[in-house]
Amino acid sequence: MKILVTVKRVPDPESSIKVNPEGTGIVESGLKWVVNPFDEIAIEEALRIKEAQGDVEVVVVSVGVSESQEQLRTGLAMGADRAILVKADRPDTAAVAKILVKLVEKEQPTLVILGKQAIDDDSNEVGQMLAHLLGWPQATFISKLTFAGDKASVECIREVDGGMETIAFALPAIITADLRLNEPRYASLPGIMKARKKPMEEIDAASLGVDLTPRVRIKKMAPPPARTAGRKVESVDELINALQTEAKVM
Amino acid sequence: MSDTLVNLRDIRFVLYEMLDVEALTKYDYFADYSKDTFDTVLEAAYKLAREVCWPSYAEMDRVGATFDAKTGETSVPKCMHRIWQAYKEGGWGGETAPAEVGGQQLPACVAAATSLMFNAANTAANMYVAGAGGAAGLILSFGSDTLKKVYVEKLYAGEWGGTMCLTEPQAGSSLSDVKSTAVKAKDGDHYLLTGTKCFISSGDHDLTENIVHPVLARIPGAPAGVKGISLFIVPKYRVGDDGAVGELNDVVTAGIEHKLGIRGNATATLNFGDRGECRGWLLGEPNRGLAYMFQLMNHARIGTGLQATSLASNAYQHALQYTRERAQSRKISEKDPASPQVPIIKHSDVRRMLLTQKATTEGLFALLAYAASLGDKELCSPDEAERLAATDMLDVLTPVCKAYGSEASYDSIVQAIQCYGGYGFSEEFPLAQMLRDCKVFPIYEGTNGIQALDLLGRKVVMKNGAAFKAVLDEISKTVAEASRVESLKDMAVKVAAASDAVGDVTAHLAGIAMGGDIELYMSAATPYLRMFSRLVISWLFLWQSTLAQKALEACAGDENYYKGKLGTARFYLNNELPHLHATVQILKNGERTALDFDEAWF
Repeated sequence: MKILVTVKRVPDPESSIKVNPEGTGIVESGLKWVVNPFDEIAIEEALRIKEAQGDVEVVVVSVGVSESQEQLRTGLAMGADRAILVKADRPDTAAVAKILVKLVEKEQPTLVILGKQAIDDDSNEVGQMLAHLLGWPQATFISKLTFAGDKASVECIREVDGGMETIAFALPAIITADLRLNEPRYASLPGIMKARKKPMEEIDAASLGVDLTPRVRIKKMAPPPARTAGRKVESVDELINALQTEAKVM
Repeated sequence: MSDTLVNLRDIRFVLYEMLDVEALTKYDYFADYSKDTFDTVLEAAYKLAREVCWPSYAEMDRVGATFDAKTGETSVPKCMHRIWQAYKEGGWGGETAPAEVGGQQLPACVAAATSLMFNAANTAANMYVAGAGGAAGLILSFGSDTLKKVYVEKLYAGEWGGTMCLTEPQAGSSLSDVKSTAVKAKDGDHYLLTGTKCFISSGDHDLTENIVHPVLARIPGAPAGVKGISLFIVPKYRVGDDGAVGELNDVVTAGIEHKLGIRGNATATLNFGDRGECRGWLLGEPNRGLAYMFQLMNHARIGTGLQATSLASNAYQHALQYTRERAQSRKISEKDPASPQVPIIKHSDVRRMLLTQKATTEGLFALLAYAASLGDKELCSPDEAERLAATDMLDVLTPVCKAYGSEASYDSIVQAIQCYGGYGFSEEFPLAQMLRDCKVFPIYEGTNGIQALDLLGRKVVMKNGAAFKAVLDEISKTVAEASRVESLKDMAVKVAAASDAVGDVTAHLAGIAMGGDIELYMSAATPYLRMFSRLVISWLFLWQSTLAQKALEACAGDENYYKGKLGTARFYLNNELPHLHATVQILKNGERTALDFDEAWF
């Protein structure tokens, strides 16, 4: 079996993000970049399947700038078998999904595991778009994945509003990982050394013959308004009045 | 809480731009590495440090290591078990060890960077790893094949813990007074040890199935003093030649210290051979023990400088974030009391405190990584002259790394706490613990007073002063290089003048020593060490400035970093270096008040 896992390069969630003066994006210089935390969970799940089933190849793939190699290497150091970098300049989610379709056609994986969303723009779209374009079953926001005995289908527990949903479907399929699916391992030193000898293929997005024209345009980016001081009210009536007339949330 | 524990950009500058770590990969020993792999290693270490080690920092202190007098068992805080597991799974115990014993052969200067991260996150925790690695290194260097086979891989792999047992109640700084004895057994290849060792870091714990103690002891009939000390490997539990752990080896923990800091690390008093059944195996030759131990000690001294610097780096990162966020008062020029308060980083006195910390931590990391890179050269350079030169430099710089590293770091954390005001004094914030943790570094691994004696009494005069002169020669090369850069000329002049003054006063002191007043000569040791340290740090800043200036001229990007580097260097040279000249004057005056002060007058 082959599992394709997506890896996105994102700013470290612990770093302070500033919007650039032009309001077109964030200030990127001096930022520390990491593997999208949900993608780490996706890698971990693929590695656990590999460890449980044996004959599984885990391929990590990233779409983005050349520096995304760093994040792919982390995936290899965790234990993935090989990596593919598709170089593309700030593709939107639709473009990423279309690029992934091409890779799926080429690699023929049984399972594609993605993080449910990337923590930079929180779009939460690529998995769903990919499933649609491929016409494959999808299970998003999963917190548990179990293979059926014949390994031709899986059962997933999804985290949905107000509870859990269990669904079963035939492979091949698309899975997007939620926070509670597993706790990802740390890259080990021996793992890092082994990763050096693992193949990393580079593909130019333009060579894949997909339409990369952005469908989404960022018109303006601004930091959320600074939180203002609260105030004490004298009575419940006053509170309700303030919520209705000032905050306009009731 | 701060975004970062250490300045990652500065680490990259030191490793890649200043020390050119990539060049090491041309040596066979490091040929498996590349810049990419170093990056991934740094990334992985930082992630582990921040996500696993740092969240337990407070718990290590609050819970601390505990000793149950009834059962005689020592326990580490619960969080430490998880950290140990993570270190073990990650292979971090064998970071720099050779591949044939399961290590990763990482260059020591890259390991200096990961050590900075791990110690910044949780230094008491990292000491357990360092203990095991230190014991393994000793056995690997000097042990018999059997000892190597039994112990080395298990120690590097984190299966077993390790220590170094030097101090005894009556023999701390004075190792020549070690009294523990080792008598050759009649029925085997081992010795029977008796004695008490105290202040043993990671001396007992429940992390591993065994703990391996390298122990200094005397064989009966050995010469008095340091020439009669041998080194033995003494496991807590006896080990068969097949590596199987057996019965207790008559090593008993008498108790652990209740300490000011690093409370998560068990500092034990160990009794060896109370029942006459403590077996130890001689390492190398008899009576060479102290020389062997010094290989480990020199390494540990640089490690101590790193521990201290890492805490100061973390404290600085916290202070920086805090002063950017905490609003108090207005600029002095702002007369309107209704205008909003400004973040305190806008106040000049706060900036002065921040710059002091920035200069201390960056200057020290440059020194420590440079020292580690000398170790790499010593190990790998095919050129014998280069290897010897590296050893000489390292010999001279080791006491600077340890003593100035620990002292300046402590002072730096004091400044970080000052930036926090009353909140810094509160244990609710991590800075108070950092200060407490840092206080041990000027004390252990040879007190700073001992380091100063080592520098002036041994290192400055060794090889007729050739090693010391080699350092001054390196400084001259950097001065010459910097003098060619227009904007750095004034800085080069300052460093050259300081170097001349240090050379001058050293000759003056040598005259005193040769004149026979050795007490006066050695009484200058501590001020001398501080003075020399300031020269060394200034030199490294000048070196860094040359690179930063070139990067700026090449428009390599990252302008704020390079401008910050130049400003920090200038700050150190303008504010810290001038103290050197005051010390020179004091030493030239033949200051002897403390020496002549009668004890009855205190």
